[in-house]
Amino acid sequence: MSAIAKPLVGSHTTEQEDPREHLMHDPLPRGEMNAMVMDSMHTTTWKYWTLAGILAFLVVTCLVYAWYILIMQGLGVTGDNRPVYWGIFLVNVVFWIGISHAGTFISAILRVLKIESRRPFTRAAELMTTFGLVQAGLSVFMHMGRVWLSYWLIPIPNERTIWPDFHSPLMWDFMAINTYLLCSTMYLFLPLIPDIAMARDRSTGWRKTFYRILAIGFRGTEGEWKNLKTAMNIFAFAIIPVMFSVHTIVSWDFAMATRPGWSSTVFGPYFVIGALHSGMAAVAVVLFMIRSTMKNMKYFIRPEHFDTLAKLSLMVSMAWAYFYFNDYLVPWYGGDKWEKILQDFTQRGPIGWLWYFMLFCNIVVPWSILWNKKWRRTPWLMAVVGLLINIGMWIERYVIIPEALTINRMPFTWQIYIPKLEIFLTIGTFALFFLLYLLASRLIPLIPVWEVQEGQEGHILRKIGKAHIPTVSEID
Amino acid sequence: MSDSRMLLAIFEDIEPASKGIDTLHNLGLSEDQMNVISGIPVKETILGRRPSRTHVGIIAMSGAVLGLLLGLFLIYGIPFLFPLDAGGQPIYPVPEGFIICFEMTMLGLMGFAFLGMFVDSGFPSYTPKEYVPQISDGRIAVLFHCPSGKQKGFIDALMKSGAQSVIPAEANQL
Amino acid sequence: MANDIQSPVNKSNAAQQVQGKWGMVVDQDLCTGCQACVAACSMENNVPFVGEVDAGYGRNMQWIRIERFWQGSFPEVKMVPFQPVMCQNCHNAPCEPVCPVYASVHSLSEDLNLQVYNRCVGTRYCANNCPYQARTFNWRDYQDARQRPELVTLQNQLNPDVTVRRRGVMEKCTFCIQRIRHAEDTAESENRDIRDGEVVPACAQACPASAITFGRIDDPTTKVSQAAVTSRASHLLEDLGTIPHVTYLAGGA
Repeated sequence: MSAIAKPLVGSHTTEQEDPREHLMHDPLPRGEMNAMVMDSMHTTTWKYWTLAGILAFLVVTCLVYAWYILIMQGLGVTGDNRPVYWGIFLVNVVFWIGISHAGTFISAILRVLKIESRRPFTRAAELMTTFGLVQAGLSVFMHMGRVWLSYWLIPIPNERTIWPDFHSPLMWDFMAINTYLLCSTMYLFLPLIPDIAMARDRSTGWRKTFYRILAIGFRGTEGEWKNLKTAMNIFAFAIIPVMFSVHTIVSWDFAMATRPGWSSTVFGPYFVIGALHSGMAAVAVVLFMIRSTMKNMKYFIRPEHFDTLAKLSLMVSMAWAYFYFNDYLVPWYGGDKWEKILQDFTQRGPIGWLWYFMLFCNIVVPWSILWNKKWRRTPWLMAVVGLLINIGMWIERYVIIPEALTINRMPFTWQIYIPKLEIFLTIGTFALFFLLYLLASRLIPLIPVWEVQEGQEGHILRKIGKAHIPTVSEID
Repeated sequence: MSDSRMLLAIFEDIEPASKGIDTLHNLGLSEDQMNVISGIPVKETILGRRPSRTHVGIIAMSGAVLGLLLGLFLIYGIPFLFPLDAGGQPIYPVPEGFIICFEMTMLGLMGFAFLGMFVDSGFPSYTPKEYVPQISDGRIAVLFHCPSGKQKGFIDALMKSGAQSVIPAEANQL
Repeated sequence: MANDIQSPVNKSNAAQQVQGKWGMVVDQDLCTGCQACVAACSMENNVPFVGEVDAGYGRNMQWIRIERFWQGSFPEVKMVPFQPVMCQNCHNAPCEPVCPVYASVHSLSEDLNLQVYNRCVGTRYCANNCPYQARTFNWRDYQDARQRPELVTLQNQLNPDVTVRRRGVMEKCTFCIQRIRHAEDTAESENRDIRDGEVVPACAQACPASAITFGRIDDPTTKVSQAAVTSRASHLLEDLGTIPHVTYLAGGA
């Protein structure tokens, strides 16, 4: 909120100028906020159970059963072939890791930069990180030919005295993704502890036992807060480079290869920006769903938060366009025969329309909509934009992986990729993501109420001159 | 100390809490005899207390060192134990060393920060503790040792400086 | 092993720059495209038949393929020499460093690229990274007689010297390493060196035009070394620096 001198009471007071529109300047007693959050956790309608049932059904059929078929019959049931050895499974891996970067961006980067409007939705984003990484991990396991031997990738002493090969980008992937998964789960849990303690104090029955165990005896003493805040600070600063490194390492799965279209030095930062792009958009979608379906969430998640997300999303979209233009211009100009053929295939081939649709979703849609302040504050519109951006980013990974694999330096082997069972497994991972989120929304408080109250305590209207200016002080 | 009792003073907000702690200081209590329990973290200096020490930082740093050692083992120890030629690359690769050492250092840093928080705060702990649920409703509570016999004086002084209530602290199952 | 090639390899230096132990020369001017080598290799190495549907979708598992190209369009079509492509057993194989479980490693004694079937977990990175697309993957259990009863009698023709691979495992041409091993064992038991021409891979054995020559390229007196040192010699995708051990002869009369 910028410190512009605007009259608080005047003839032209509009909704945008009323500081009470901002969550931080619209405080409620903590007890009331706690009650609102607990209430939204305990409220489940028939719509909730219907949706959970549908998602569970999809998980059982499209994920569990389809994967069973995949394991028993082998990868022949997918659409992979020579030369497209990696298809939609890898697209999903990159996509879900991209989604997972949203949580870290909001929870860590916005926290480090002290952007106050992050406060109500850090946990919703962190949950997306954890559940997104689960789907990414599942997709990695899905693409393996002999997945029952995947434990061979774990570097522990064994009776065969064989170790995995750390020259391989896949092992860097293994280390990086596991580090990121562990660290973001820990980072999800740390700020959750005080809210679980609050839930413990306000629950009975099995919930109380559940929360009591999870709350590990937290009370809120000085020492406990100091330790918690120190640990959270360490995490906030340390998980940012890990976030950057994870998607860079994922991009190196492709950049290390000698394929045209893959052997590009810009892949590292390009993928990171792509991850942020799809992640932020996904957060907008999820926040809209939370706000419109869960009780009392309209108090916590307000148009101003969509505004923040949208502004960041616009910047990231521009950065993405910059990196994509880099990746496009260099081979186009440089004239490597195979790169030119690949670009021709991607843009003018049988599925060339997909490439144009990707550019529409990733550039045209955000650039044309996100500049408008009023539109940025319209949650459903932001959700639609977020959905389109995510579709565009999924297509971008599809262009990078199966489409680039189709063209290689041995034209006799070129073959189009037609996905088969992967489509069901993809639907299964999406269903599992939403199902996990649905279950989590009723088990743990989605809003970090203590952080919201902490922010509200620090935000005051200070009289400077003739006006009341919203200011924020650091009480911790 | 057998001649004192634990009392819990509950304050509505930060201002009354800092006044109350001032009162307790004036009544002769030292820092160690008081503890503040709150629903949001409040800087100790705001309440007029000494900043508390934490060991999480040093534990995290030692974790980072351990992580670095693990990374070095993975990238250089494994080819030493199990040398296999692959693709014309050197057996002890330098760029991969940066990658793996970085990841493992960060994992060690954050993992030990997490564990350090647990260890330093004594988590998980399921023994009965002095606590009231109003704290998670935003109150600030001050837990202090009151010398026996002076209870009434302490309670009166605290109520005058703005406490909502002062009750004997009972250790309950949380 | 250090990469000895510091400067860009150009065509005229190709023959002199070959390093290694075992090498192959394929004479494209002699090759008739009859695919006898393909059949022989499949029989020797227990390569499965994938069926029409999978083969049409690019899942053919033959370790050697005859690439045919043409120039122009009908009726002015000009044939270009056939190109048999198999695993080049590169000195700096790009498929090796990318395997996470050391299933694709380099043999220091034979200077060949090895595929360790029982270690492969099927991530297929090696296949993506092979610029020659010489690797094939077992997409299904093509050889499992329990699932395909018609294979029961065909099991009699399997070569006992070579593993039968199951689903999820990569495979590729090994320069008939079982024949190399056999010859080396025989030579050692007779206390002599391997003679030139003693090791004949299945493809070379079957070729009616004698287009494939195989032997020790570190010995300049072998037939394969002498065949490689001509002006017709080149390597596939040389500029990638993989240092393949297969030399192609083309462009002669």
